[in-house]
Amino acid sequence: MRGLTYRAALAGIAGVMLLALAVPAAQGQADLIGAAKREGRVVVYGSMESDVFAVIQKIFEGQYGIPVDYFRASSNGVMDRVLTESRAGKPLYDAVLTNRSPMMILKTQGVFGRYVSPSYGSYPSATRDPDDVLSPSYRQVVVSILYNTRLVKAEDAPKSLADLLDPKWKGKIVMPDPNVHTTTAVWLANLEPVMGAQYRPFVERLAGQVTLVESFLPVVQKVIVGEFPLGITYVKYVYIFGSEGAPLDYVRLSPLLAEAHHVALSAKAPHPNAARLFVDVFTSRLGLLALAKAGEFVLVPGVYPPIKDAEKLRIVLMDDLSEQELKQFRDQVGTLFLKR
Amino acid sequence: MVVAAAGIGIILAFLALYPTAMLFYGSVSDAPLGVPGHLTLAHYRAAYGDPNTYRMIGNSFVFAAGAAAISLVVAGLLAWITVRTDAPGRALFELVAVVPNVLPPLLTATAWVLLLSPRIGLINVVARRVGLPPFNVYSMPGMIFVEGLILAPLAYLIISAALRSMDPSLEEAARIAGSHPLQAARRVTTPMIRPALLAAGLLNFVRALESFDTPSIIAIPARIEVFTTKVAREALTAYPPNHNLAATYAMSLLGIAMVLVYVYRRLTARTERFVTISGRGYRPHAIELGPWQYVASAGAILLLALIVLLPFCVLLLTSLLPFYSVPTWETVRQLTLKHYAFLLTSDRVARALRISTMLAVAGATLGMLLASAVACLTVRTRVAGRGALELLTFIPWAFPGTALAIGLLWGYVRLPVPIYATVWILLIAYVTRFLPYGLRAMTSTMVQVHTDLEEVSRVCGAGLLHTFRRVLFPLLRPGFMAGWTILATIFMREFSTSLFLYTPRSEPVGPLLYHLWIDGLHGRMAALGVVVSLVSVVLVAGARRASRTQLAD
Repeated sequence: MRGLTYRAALAGIAGVMLLALAVPAAQGQADLIGAAKREGRVVVYGSMESDVFAVIQKIFEGQYGIPVDYFRASSNGVMDRVLTESRAGKPLYDAVLTNRSPMMILKTQGVFGRYVSPSYGSYPSATRDPDDVLSPSYRQVVVSILYNTRLVKAEDAPKSLADLLDPKWKGKIVMPDPNVHTTTAVWLANLEPVMGAQYRPFVERLAGQVTLVESFLPVVQKVIVGEFPLGITYVKYVYIFGSEGAPLDYVRLSPLLAEAHHVALSAKAPHPNAARLFVDVFTSRLGLLALAKAGEFVLVPGVYPPIKDAEKLRIVLMDDLSEQELKQFRDQVGTLFLKR
Repeated sequence: MVVAAAGIGIILAFLALYPTAMLFYGSVSDAPLGVPGHLTLAHYRAAYGDPNTYRMIGNSFVFAAGAAAISLVVAGLLAWITVRTDAPGRALFELVAVVPNVLPPLLTATAWVLLLSPRIGLINVVARRVGLPPFNVYSMPGMIFVEGLILAPLAYLIISAALRSMDPSLEEAARIAGSHPLQAARRVTTPMIRPALLAAGLLNFVRALESFDTPSIIAIPARIEVFTTKVAREALTAYPPNHNLAATYAMSLLGIAMVLVYVYRRLTARTERFVTISGRGYRPHAIELGPWQYVASAGAILLLALIVLLPFCVLLLTSLLPFYSVPTWETVRQLTLKHYAFLLTSDRVARALRISTMLAVAGATLGMLLASAVACLTVRTRVAGRGALELLTFIPWAFPGTALAIGLLWGYVRLPVPIYATVWILLIAYVTRFLPYGLRAMTSTMVQVHTDLEEVSRVCGAGLLHTFRRVLFPLLRPGFMAGWTILATIFMREFSTSLFLYTPRSEPVGPLLYHLWIDGLHGRMAALGVVVSLVSVVLVAGARRASRTQLAD
């Protein structure tokens, strides 16, 4: 009996405490929503595919009725636009979302403001930015070998990166040019610790095996139409284009390297409250579940994109490259890919 | 007259020199634009201290010269057949010849890869069946071929306008003197339209030098370095992007283009030589080919197949399939209209079409009015500094679209007038960049019209304005409409300059097509390409109709 009372009392105290905590929080939230609505819109610059972004956009607009203007470009294009507008003193963006490396550059350039969304609390602490500028990683883009299932049977597909060097694949692999495409450069550079002594001979021979294009999307397009049976690109395309009927599968490399994506607020956001509200929704569990459903890898335990074997993959986040490291990479490794 | 010249001069100088000055400053500053810095020549040293730069320049010149030459041959033949002969179906051919100008080069280049890729290219698949070796599009000849075909429609518009304004009595004289029609075409027609041929060749040469679409799709896989791929690699995809170096390369292109404009002016300096419309009775008259007319039609169809029909069919097929693949019987069962359904339901598409149609109509009209005024001043008057006027229009056009956009961005973002991030900056950018196309169409027609017609009108008591409206303008209308058509079709789908200057709320068709492309949504992109082509054909047909009705008046 006593125990029951004790438990009831504890529950009561907890309830009051929750209420006490919840009231100001709810009040703060109501203020934020009101202010956001008065601002009338939110402007987001990002490199997320428009169709995937539309999923979050729909949730946000449906919940608050605040329209989202989305400027989509390559990660480099986003970085360029943000820097240009900031230097000109006319930043028109409220929030920016793209790959880790360009986000780190933008952070050091001081274009972002600090913000800790209430939803960041549920992320692993290791993924939090100690400076409270970048969000924790809201998605990870995983890179692997994709192949056209009409041209390559699963048993004939390469099993490892080293298999790409087999003479039978010469001229049949397409990948982005690491001299033009930053994420590919980051991916190649991150292979070094994975491959150890095998790394240099591997990249030297790989450069002679492959045909280069501008970025990951032309790669998957060329694999889908059958121009090249194999391509190095994002695993999520297996779902995004596969669900529309594209003949695609991927090689289950171990480990698979992935680049983290982050979102951050502008230091001089024209619609600061709407921007905070947007980041709250974007990084919330609801937002992440919607992203996962659209084919993205997210950091929610037990939640996977609808890609075969997604739950079995060993995914390792890549280190970003600094300006200096990227230059060094292009001089030492990139030049291998320029030779005819 | 002097006041008018001064006014136009000031407008042109502002449009051309303001962004140029920004780019020049960027090329000699050690800090990104907008950040205070010191003067330096380091970017020039970085660009020209690299021995690879010189091989790249060689590649670029081979590529641009080859593409310009192909465009002239294709366009010249097609223009002669459609304008100067009685080949059946020529009215239809003329309309079809405008379509490729409407297709974004990115789409055309993608379509040619699907036609000529070594493994899956449709033409190569057929070639292998009949035992011919496949043609590898990923090569210098492949690049030249595709770019030449992409540039042909522009040359066609300029050359056909000149042919239409030509006095055919000289050709008749050649015929009477015993020349075969082809001989007459070579010996009489070609020299008479030389200003137009030179203009088209020059414009296309520089356009090929600065084009990024074909190189990004063909040169990167072929590992051939040209100007624009080097700029992309070293400046635009550098980390973070280096606009100063991009500006430095842009300055070099400006230098090359200025030399070419100078050569062009030297070659066409004695304009009197090319005057062919005079008071001596001017009536266009088609050359009768007799039985050869069907051969001519077949030739025109073959040329049109290269510049329009084949790439358009690939585009159409892509727009009707979930994913493009080499067509088989299986393909027929996969046909779908879902990409078109997307276009119908998307607000973004509707808005982009609205914005681009507005930019095409308003921009082309504004551009041609300005071009007519400049052409009038440079060809018809002896106002001091008229040569400089023409040179001014060429400056912004000599930059690659991306570089000009950087200059414009930095120029207009600082003005106290709220132009940045609106459709107006796009309108200004389009007119600034593409004015030379309008001007070429206008001047090469204007130099052909002898001043005696105006003098007669003036002697009869008509004022300057009246003379322009009643005498000069009707004679120049082919040139005006050709220029308008070029500008409207380019503005309908321009993307390389727009990409830097648009915002999500003022997104025109070009960036939208590009985004569908980078999102991998090729079906939707192709469907939008098909729709934009149709909208542009309606625009062009409307313009033709208007021009004919006025002529009848």
